[in-house]
Amino acid sequence: MSDFRYSQNEAHPNKTNTLMTGIIVLLICLVTIQIWLLYSALNNALEENFGIALATFFGSLVLALVSFWLLRYLPEPRIIKSRK
Amino acid sequence: MAENKNSTDKIPNWKRDFPVDQEEATHVSRREFAKFLGLLSGALALGNGAIVVKSMAFPHKALEGEHFVCNVADLAPGEMHQFEIEGSKSIPYILIHLPEGGWRAFEQKCTHLACAVRYRADIDRIECPCHRGYFDARTGVVIEGPPPRPLPQLEAVDKNGKIYVRAMSEPLNV
Ligand code: FES
Repeated sequence: MSDFRYSQNEAHPNKTNTLMTGIIVLLICLVTIQIWLLYSALNNALEENFGIALATFFGSLVLALVSFWLLRYLPEPRIIKSRK
Repeated sequence: MAENKNSTDKIPNWKRDFPVDQEEATHVSRREFAKFLGLLSGALALGNGAIVVKSMAFPHKALEGEHFVCNVADLAPGEMHQFEIEGSKSIPYILIHLPEGGWRAFEQKCTHLACAVRYRADIDRIECPCHRGYFDARTGVVIEGPPPRPLPQLEAVDKNGKIYVRAMSEPLNV
């Protein structure tokens, strides 16, 4: 069966590629920021700075939620066999 | 349905044994990588939460009471004495008799990677030999090197020729 999405994908196979790459780059950025937050939380918790531990936790949580939400936009895996 | 059955019959044996196309395989692995990044991100948030929980469950307790360390006569000016205080875990400290006559007590664990620091009278500084970190012998602040924080300090008091340590009564004014 051929529909609009199918012909679009046939004509521009790079679209999902770009989307996938974009999502992965965004995810890597988010994880990098989280590593930085965790690092400063560790450093500051040792110094009894409770506020920083709490603030970085909320920041990190928000970033994690954003990355979960980003996963919803992953392109569907192409089903090759059924199209042939 | 009948047509479908026909087409599966036509698939050669080798293809039935390895039913994943190369193209499909690479596509899936990128999806999985992205999902893994999502998982990692969740794990980092959890770890950050664990720090919060830990610092709420085990708040830092100041040293209680006074502890006898040594007699004034035992330590010449410019010398250092190592001692430990038993608590929930025993923490090593150093007692320094400053050349001009004061007394200082610091935790011996370097704030960088927990090497043992020592007082060097020739340069009048506390030195961490591991990565050449230097602390001020009077306040414990970092003068040089990688340590991120000053050394935790105890107050050392001279009572009739005996040195006692206790928690700092007022915080360091750094
Ligand atoms: S452990 Fe002391 S400077 Fe690195």
